[in-house]
Amino acid sequence: MKTNTQPLIFRTDIGPLCANCAVHKALDNHNDIQSWSIDAEDKDCVLRIVSDTLTPTMIIEIINQLGHQCHELS
Amino acid sequence: MRTRDTDKEKLVIEKAIEQIVQDGFQGFSMNKLAKACNISVATLYIYYQDKDDLIKKIGGEISSNFFSRTIKDFSPSMSFAEGLWKQWENRAAFAVEFPTEVACFEVIKHSPHGESILAVGQLSQFKIQMTEFFENAIRNNELVPLPMDVFWSVAYGPLYALLRFHREGKSLGGKPFTLTKEIMEEAFKITLKGLRP
Repeated sequence: MKTNTQPLIFRTDIGPLCANCAVHKALDNHNDIQSWSIDAEDKDCVLRIVSDTLTPTMIIEIINQLGHQCHELS
Repeated sequence: MRTRDTDKEKLVIEKAIEQIVQDGFQGFSMNKLAKACNISVATLYIYYQDKDDLIKKIGGEISSNFFSRTIKDFSPSMSFAEGLWKQWENRAAFAVEFPTEVACFEVIKHSPHGESILAVGQLSQFKIQMTEFFENAIRNNELVPLPMDVFWSVAYGPLYALLRFHREGKSLGGKPFTLTKEIMEEAFKITLKGLRP
């Protein structure tokens, strides 16, 4: 099984107003996400996700399905 | 996979301190910091959750360094004159050796993160020692009974004024100024005189 001991980092368009929105709930309730945060002050609204099992593609898919853009930062 | 690199972490902290001092709290950004460190923004986010997290960690690091240096070779059981002089020496040494850190600490202390950076573990040990020293001095009749804040302003005010002159390289009227041990001793003697019963 692939494990990510380090966070996965993404550029998004999730703004600070989304604190109680679908993205917040979806990430909070996802069993495979250990922790996550969004730097709402940054122009790239950087999303940081810690997960042992999820791949960047899977995370991008989750965020896209919630109506937001998401690109992995490398 | 990207890995944590201790040298890179040190560089990030060093550059962040420089940028906070130069651009202020609001002007500082993760993007600018990443560029200055020649690393990707993503790498920066491996180390820190966001800008606030980075600022808190840097502030915590500076304050922890300051508190441990300030109580170095100091004991609350020292005589008042000896202990206060040791405090002057330690505080001056820190300010002269780490001027950018001190300037950065001042910026963070007066930001919304001020309280969290003062909640580091070393602070409690520091507070205990300083309070014990202060109470011992009053008990031993070496210090006139004063409220702690009045004591602090008289005991360290002159030192911090001299350190500010030193940092700016000039004193009153723009006169060139360098802090020497002799100047410090002269100010210390007067300070001590004012604090003794």
